Amino acid sequence: MSPYNLLPRFKAQYDANNQEFSISGVVRPQAIDELGPSIALLRDAIGRVRGVLYVNVRRLTQMNNAAFHAFSRIIIDACRARPDLKFVVITSSVVGWTSRKFGRLSGIEPNITVEEYDSEFYPGQGFLEEGGFVPILRTQTKMTWRHERAILPRHGMKPGIVMADICCGIGDFAVLVQKEFQPSRIVALDHSISSLDYARRVMREFDIRGIEYTYGDASEMLLDEAQFDLVTCRHSLQIFNRPELILKELYRICKPGGRVYITNEKNSHCLGEPRAESIRWTYNEVAKLFGHFEMDVELGPKSRRYLIEAGFEDIRVETFMVTNLDGDPQDFADVIAAWADVYAGEMASKRGDCPEFVARFRQGFQDHIFAALHPKGYAGWPIWVASGRRPQ
Amino acid sequence: MEPVHHDLAGGPAFEPMIQIDMEIKAFVSVWRHCDYVSTYMARMISQNRSDSVRHSNLFSSAFNELLEVVFRTRHADGELACRVSRHGATDRIELILPCVPEERRFYEEAVSQVAGIEARERYLNSVSGDLAPSREVVLLELAVDYNATLRLEEADGDAIKLVVDLPLEGLRN
Repeated sequence: MSPYNLLPRFKAQYDANNQEFSISGVVRPQAIDELGPSIALLRDAIGRVRGVLYVNVRRLTQMNNAAFHAFSRIIIDACRARPDLKFVVITSSVVGWTSRKFGRLSGIEPNITVEEYDSEFYPGQGFLEEGGFVPILRTQTKMTWRHERAILPRHGMKPGIVMADICCGIGDFAVLVQKEFQPSRIVALDHSISSLDYARRVMREFDIRGIEYTYGDASEMLLDEAQFDLVTCRHSLQIFNRPELILKELYRICKPGGRVYITNEKNSHCLGEPRAESIRWTYNEVAKLFGHFEMDVELGPKSRRYLIEAGFEDIRVETFMVTNLDGDPQDFADVIAAWADVYAGEMASKRGDCPEFVARFRQGFQDHIFAALHPKGYAGWPIWVASGRRPQ
Repeated sequence: MEPVHHDLAGGPAFEPMIQIDMEIKAFVSVWRHCDYVSTYMARMISQNRSDSVRHSNLFSSAFNELLEVVFRTRHADGELACRVSRHGATDRIELILPCVPEERRFYEEAVSQVAGIEARERYLNSVSGDLAPSREVVLLELAVDYNATLRLEEADGDAIKLVVDLPLEGLRN
């Protein structure tokens, strides 16, 4: 037996609270005997549950036909023996074969349904994934890059490294990094198909090489362990309801000795003069609005704690302020206008805010724009940068 | 429209990408060789696909099934050649393996079953009825779940050449 054979390749577990049997990893047995304990666990789970048993294969990266038949037969037999029992198989939209393969089961037994896990599982993220937020992201990256290009080398960025940009959005940060620092390889991952289509189109049109865009879920990535010198994840932990799950994955794919770099905001610290009070009130409300949708846009200063709790060492934290004095003040004003469109538009509407609130809420954004464009004005948007090293 | 080059048989020309040769005895000595080879080759050929990670996962999944079928084939001595080539959105796997005459007949019959119109039904019957998938059903599944096309070609001596075209680039979930 080679040492490789001793490595655990898959894990099966049963969560009685959620009536959920889950199996993850690579399941490629030569003989069904190798699955004995997992099959026994599934049989046991079936014997215990009433109503619905969830079969979670979201993190199942590979399963050969021998194993698929073995598990399927148990589920199909259970359907026939117990018509009262329903099975819901939860696949991942990221792992291409699972929905096709497990989807066949519902054609065999009507009590088996197959659901594809996707962004609906992230409350509120739909505001930011598709469509409306793209113009904001483009302008934001342009403005933050002026600062980050100087900051990144202090957090592990250098030519020749292998890096991943997780939650890459429309890929503009990856392109800027490729041009400025020439890493040997960039893998850029996002869960928005439309953003990735845009990123690939830009790459083709501008003949950019060295970036691989991939569709994926940041909390459950198909990427192998310990393969990147630097993993970046910008402005994204703050829009996930469970950022610690993302950080766990960032840690996993980072090489020992490599670094994970995150940026986040503290929206209530956005500021401006004149009309400071109105601006302050509105951005406090922005934080509450995102909180309503289980997103924490106050996360910035909490970055250090998150990184420590995820197991990183040599934590480095710094802040920078994007202001109306960086380049063209109109860029700053455009970003605020885009925020106003989404926050005081779709998001406020979805929360059910009354017209009076929305009017006052929108006024704060108008005042921020006023401050940005005022010849004597000052407008700011603070960003927290943090990175940690994965221990050797 | 891009020009399409054709090989002597009249089909589009596939560009060679990678080939691994190994003694068949060495290959069948360890089950995990199926996993090693499929994973390695999948990574190597997926770098320039539109989504390298997804493509690699899909390719490895399909290729591993093929290698597991080869692993379970009764062989004569000789070499196993695994070759991958590409034309547009289609990746072609060619497996050249030595095998005994009965196995040649198995592959001929299995490939003809895969091409049959009832392939999907046969596959579903197996999933709902069989304790373990036969090698034929594993090949059927490639057609059903990966839109693969399979055929046999002549090879030297007592070897057979299994050619599998996988249009994974356009495969939707």
